[in-house]
Amino acid sequence: MLDAIRDVVRKSSIHVCIVNCGGCNGCDVECVALLSPRYDLEQYGIYVHNNPREADVLLLTGAVTEQWVDNLKRIYDKAPEPKIAVAVGNCPVSGDVFNQEGGHVHAPASNFIPVAAEIPGCPPRPSEILEAILAVGPQAIADRGRERQ
Amino acid sequence: MSSLIWYIYDFARKAWTDAFADAKTSPEIAEKPERFRDFPKVNKEYCIGCGACTVSCPSPNAIKIVREKDDETGEGLTYPVITPGACIRCGFCAEVCPTEPKTLECGLNHLILPEFNIIPSKRQYIIDDYLCIKCKKCMKKCPVGAISLVDGKMFVDQLKCISCGECLEVCPVNGAMKGVFVDNLQDQKDLILLCVNYLEDYINNKEEDLRALEKDGLLQYEVPLADFWDEAIKIIPDDEVALEIITNAVNRLKIRIIDWDKDKCKKCQLCIPDCPTKCISFDEKEDTIVRDKNRCLRCSICYQTCPFSVIKYFIAKFSLEDDKIIYTTVKASNLNEDIFME
Amino acid sequence: MIVPIGPIHPALKEPIRLKLQTEGERVVKAEIEYGYVHRGIEKIIEGQTWQKGIYLSERVCGICSYEHTQTFAETIEQISDVDVPLRAQFLRVITNELDRIQSHLLGNSTFFKSMDHETLFMRVLELREYAMDSIELLTGNRVNMGWNVVGGVRMDADERYFKPILENLNKIEEEFERTRALFAEGPALALRCKGIGLMTKKEAIKGRAVGPIGRASGVKEDYRKGHYTYDDHFDFKVIRRSEGDNYARTLTRFDEIPESISLIRQAIENIPDGEVRTPVDLKSGYAMRKNEAPRGEVTYMIETNGNLIKNISIRTPSIPNMDSCAKYMIRDVPTVADAVATYATSDPCVACAERVAITNEHGKTSIKDFYEVI
Repeated sequence: MLDAIRDVVRKSSIHVCIVNCGGCNGCDVECVALLSPRYDLEQYGIYVHNNPREADVLLLTGAVTEQWVDNLKRIYDKAPEPKIAVAVGNCPVSGDVFNQEGGHVHAPASNFIPVAAEIPGCPPRPSEILEAILAVGPQAIADRGRERQ
Repeated sequence: MSSLIWYIYDFARKAWTDAFADAKTSPEIAEKPERFRDFPKVNKEYCIGCGACTVSCPSPNAIKIVREKDDETGEGLTYPVITPGACIRCGFCAEVCPTEPKTLECGLNHLILPEFNIIPSKRQYIIDDYLCIKCKKCMKKCPVGAISLVDGKMFVDQLKCISCGECLEVCPVNGAMKGVFVDNLQDQKDLILLCVNYLEDYINNKEEDLRALEKDGLLQYEVPLADFWDEAIKIIPDDEVALEIITNAVNRLKIRIIDWDKDKCKKCQLCIPDCPTKCISFDEKEDTIVRDKNRCLRCSICYQTCPFSVIKYFIAKFSLEDDKIIYTTVKASNLNEDIFME
Repeated sequence: MIVPIGPIHPALKEPIRLKLQTEGERVVKAEIEYGYVHRGIEKIIEGQTWQKGIYLSERVCGICSYEHTQTFAETIEQISDVDVPLRAQFLRVITNELDRIQSHLLGNSTFFKSMDHETLFMRVLELREYAMDSIELLTGNRVNMGWNVVGGVRMDADERYFKPILENLNKIEEEFERTRALFAEGPALALRCKGIGLMTKKEAIKGRAVGPIGRASGVKEDYRKGHYTYDDHFDFKVIRRSEGDNYARTLTRFDEIPESISLIRQAIENIPDGEVRTPVDLKSGYAMRKNEAPRGEVTYMIETNGNLIKNISIRTPSIPNMDSCAKYMIRDVPTVADAVATYATSDPCVACAERVAITNEHGKTSIKDFYEVI
């Protein structure tokens, strides 16, 4: 009974923190566009406020740069359980165009922290981000919450 | 005060509340405009496997060309596979795709005109007119018609060329059709230098064999490529490119080697003034004649000058095939045979 | 006391470390620590062809990505001595101005968010969506458009595309006046903005502030004046203000939007017929070009060897803007909240600003002593 209530709450109220670990800002502005009245992220119970200490979902953007190699793990540890990380855009998934000779990145992000879902695109459209978060986010958080017990 | 009321009133305006009430939900916001470039669509059956898309793609991991297994119906299809996690949706692959109709489609209304099909390839195809026998095999094989006969010479149109390399395979004359790497000339020079230096040192170290070599005798060695492959890969990290450069260089290579037995040398010092680069000198402390290898031209003047025939002169040739072993043949020079004295 | 903010913080949108030196509530001094977004794009472009380089230059910055590709293309056109068809130049102007509108609206909305004024934040973002729609309609992508190529633009556009763009512009204009008035004349925000984060004209010149940030302090500099397309065919006025505070910077960005809208209207009205792309035979040589990105002047210096790009150097507007923000704007600010807001009005784009990495003798990379080296 308690678990069921917890699941409902977890599914319907998600706090999101955008972690830009070295991208071009393209994915970040698309995440900001999600807040606009056009898409209205908050109608789905998702609230973006960029504080890792309160976040349920970390939205990773950007290929992991030198300075983020240690810091990414630290940020992930600071988020309370249950938490998931979602990779937005190509950079955290494969390193995109930066992952070649001369580049200074350490992609993919899944080398450093567990990534639950990937949203391909450079950058993905807001609708694609929304679709992916809604498809994977609530259930993954609820599952992870039960796992931890 | 009035401004404050106006300010509060502004929050409750109709247009503003409408915008929120009209906030679209799932299906409608996913609408994509006509021109939207989504991930490229692959039509497997049209692909000619030229690899233009992989070469042109700015993202290194986005496109891979795969080949299905052969079965009884015939050869398996070759076609590109797009990795969505790396594709940046630029549509450049669709722009360079040379097939008709297109194998790769991405978005609408692209300017896909032949004169813009410039493929950013590392390799440039050139025909050596001196060696070309004008058999026109390459012209018939070329899938995009880039090769033509202009003023009695075969000519590759670089704007049309898709760098598929098929002309190189059909060419019956070794060296008439060339795929030249254009972007890393300095690295190529370094690689060839490394290869030549290694081979020369290798032969020089076989002193005893060289000194025992008869006039008409041959020395044969098998030098495995693996000995200096690690260093070569450091200079040019691409396996295929490095191997090709070494193969081309080694098969044409002819090294001249100068060697003498220091014990037999009579220290007459006649070779010293004759050397054009002054690389031979007399070391008084050690009481020997020394040669500076880095400045030596291997011109053989010292060999011709030496009145006691102590200085020996050898010519080495090499061949490198698919088995990655450099077959080396060393032979004594028969220059100056008439005044050969013992 | 030093208050460190970032790299991930509710007040910041991008990873950067702000160090605010405070005396009580008052912020005396600020310092910015870079180094979280350096990717080494210039090094990747070296030795590539322009076809690949143009997509890489697009990813220097995701917000003003368009102007980077245009400057890149124009630099290579200058090297190769190619004249771009007039129709392509007009299409470039349309896209450039649409990009400027969305960037300015985003910059202002970020400022309102950092002032915790959700209404204006939402309203401005709503306006921005119309500009984004127009961009997606015209170019095929919302952010990294892939629209420019050396020698022109990739696709032609016709009435089918211009009509919805004009409709979208009308929608922006309808709402725009009220939104601007809500900020400029409303009592809540203006009082918090006036006189905060002051930068005089002298300081702006000394700190080399460019774009709307410089123009809000009275610097008369707009690189669209001097660009061949704008000079020959377009008529617009450069917005300048003299106050140099947060209020002026936000209003400068707001006031540039009607100018951009009128530029797009002029372009759509007078667009000539003809080709939109011309083949380019790349020559070897060196060229430098300056252009006005939404945030200010973007400079590209490119050297080619006839086939590949030998050397490239990029100078982005965010470097001087963020530097002058830390040096002059956040110097004597009443509260920490105002300091963060001041940082937001300088429209920082960290991805643009990180162009250098310094490797010390142990092979460890740091970008901490960035300004000591320069």
